[in-house]
Amino acid sequence: MSKIEIFDPAMCCATGICGPGIDQELLRVATTVNALTKKGVDIIRYGLSSEPQAFIDNKKVNDYLMKEEVEVLPITIVDGEVVKTRKYPTEDEFAQWSGVSKEEIAAAATEKENGCCCEGGCC
Amino acid sequence: MYNLFNPDNIKLTKYLFFTGKGGVGKTSTACATAITLADQGKKVLLVSTDPASNLQDVFGINLTSKGTPIQEVPNLVVANLNPEEAAKAYKESVIAPYKGKLPASVIQNMEEQLSGSCTVEIAAFNEFSNFITDEKTQIEYDHILFDTAPTGHTLRMLQLPSAWSNFISESTHGASCLGQLSGLESKKEVYKNAVITLADGKMTTLILISRPEYSPLQEAERASKELKELGVNNQLLVVNGVLDLDVENDEIADKLYSKQQEALRNIPESLQDTPTYRIPLRAYNVTGIKNIRMLLKEDYLEIQNYKLNKEELPKVKALIEDLYASKKRVIFTMGKGGVGKTTLAAAIAIGLAEKGLKVHLTTTDPADHLKFVVEEGHGIRLSKIDEKEELRNYTEAVLAKARETMAEEDIAYVEEDLRSPCTQEIAVFRAFAEIVDNADDEIVVIDTAPTGHTLLLLDATQSYHKEIQKSQGDIPEAVKNLLPRLRDAKETEVVIVTLPEATPVYEAMRLQEDLKRAGINNKWWVINSSLLMTNTQSPLLKTKSQNEIPWINKVDEIAQGNFAVIPWKGEEIKGKKLVELIR
Repeated sequence: MSKIEIFDPAMCCATGICGPGIDQELLRVATTVNALTKKGVDIIRYGLSSEPQAFIDNKKVNDYLMKEEVEVLPITIVDGEVVKTRKYPTEDEFAQWSGVSKEEIAAAATEKENGCCCEGGCC
Repeated sequence: MYNLFNPDNIKLTKYLFFTGKGGVGKTSTACATAITLADQGKKVLLVSTDPASNLQDVFGINLTSKGTPIQEVPNLVVANLNPEEAAKAYKESVIAPYKGKLPASVIQNMEEQLSGSCTVEIAAFNEFSNFITDEKTQIEYDHILFDTAPTGHTLRMLQLPSAWSNFISESTHGASCLGQLSGLESKKEVYKNAVITLADGKMTTLILISRPEYSPLQEAERASKELKELGVNNQLLVVNGVLDLDVENDEIADKLYSKQQEALRNIPESLQDTPTYRIPLRAYNVTGIKNIRMLLKEDYLEIQNYKLNKEELPKVKALIEDLYASKKRVIFTMGKGGVGKTTLAAAIAIGLAEKGLKVHLTTTDPADHLKFVVEEGHGIRLSKIDEKEELRNYTEAVLAKARETMAEEDIAYVEEDLRSPCTQEIAVFRAFAEIVDNADDEIVVIDTAPTGHTLLLLDATQSYHKEIQKSQGDIPEAVKNLLPRLRDAKETEVVIVTLPEATPVYEAMRLQEDLKRAGINNKWWVINSSLLMTNTQSPLLKTKSQNEIPWINKVDEIAQGNFAVIPWKGEEIKGKKLVELIR
């Protein structure tokens, strides 16, 4: 199974809801990544403001940044190769790279997790 | 009548936490307590956590966050936590290692992300927690006193650790929303310990400061309750500025006395069981070490020969005429808590409505009492920005948006991020923008929250503005329009409200600096509650009124003559009384 890495620009949170507006694209990516993780896919996101070291340690990412500046983010890497820059992967691309079908991703997203997520026992 | 507040007779815990509405005398009381304890030979540390702190004015020296020994008071060390500087240092510490290793645009992107108001709050709380939990400090000092920011802000600071630890422990996908707070996990213990210390009655006393007036007492009750909910149960109430009526026979003194006594008779019920002390009203200005040292001991009269620069002091009418003539659409009343921002905002609203304008009067003050001051109707619409409600609205808006495309479990995931403490800040910010945006078809008069909080809000406005310009997210028009509108002097006027005393004037001057930096227009100043404008014959009050003159002159100078003075009134200025104010 492929290893997927996404290098995000600096932002408050992965869903972007801490920003000044609601960004559907970030919501989509965040939930897809969440679903893929549940399916056991090796997928990881690095945030520029929280893990800047990762943007230096990864030589390819660093080269891109040095050449094309901050606009090149987000960068997606599959098995060590840069496959996409400036935009997040589409659902088709996620499916293709992870080997998990779009239907399976959607199913994983709706699957219940163990444990309770809130104090009031609302879930 | 309550006993005098005198630390010589009261046994005090190691940590003393002074809180209360702005302008009630927290700093004076904290300083006087610190000096009294130091004079007893105790080792004392006094720390201010107020973003608009005025400790340096009291001691007449520049202070740092590390602590400065005070020469005139052996045993006393004073520290000033400056949240903005702390935030800058925090930002610097995150970014410094990557300078030169990443291109400038990338560094800039990180910096912008770390410039939000959340970072300022976190940095402030960091320093504050360090002082509470640092073992060396604990051993070194007999007493550690905190002169805190205005109540709303303080409460938020104290609630943060519990909000954060819940957030971290509940988060199933890692603390993603805390991206900019990357150091947070490691601080968790420190925050937890800070809250444990605060809740330990043997270690910590919460000293609620109030004036013998209705609204500061209500505020004290609110703070008392909310802090009890956080487990801070060891509380004292100190009523500052109580007029002790003895031989004086003067109408103004009588009015002041009965006004105060009535407020004290109607003290909120939940405060009635709290041990309560009083500090008498003093004739002298409570600044300078000499007077601070006297505050808890005795009064003295010192006749000054000050002269007013202006023969006749201008009234609020002049301000309203100018706002009308210059066609201002967004009008703020800003200043320290307790200076009468709400009263003035209401008076301006009435004045403009009388001229036939449609006025929307709104407040962001958590202790909103707008509706007690003025009624809706006759061209005036009232509203308020309620932080909790805004948070709920924002959460619902986000979830509604999410539901358009997402499955239920995805939504749970989004909900998790929505529990981040930053979300509330965003929510309030959006509500604020929304109201200002309405200034197209009505005049908006905004009675803002106490200074510190307002500054954070303005700061947020600035940093978000940068982000908005490149975000692909769904940004409401109102948010896009906010800062340009605030910066347009043709549309926006900030009226700075102050009192004719040292501290409020110094604070107002700092506020003016901040406004300048943010590029926001301020032309007018209003001095409220001037005893000089009354004909008091009471020696104490007359001395006090003479002491107002240098401060009125100072405002005259700073405002280049664009100021108005409101006389001290024996009764709450509301309803019809507001109309008198603008005649």
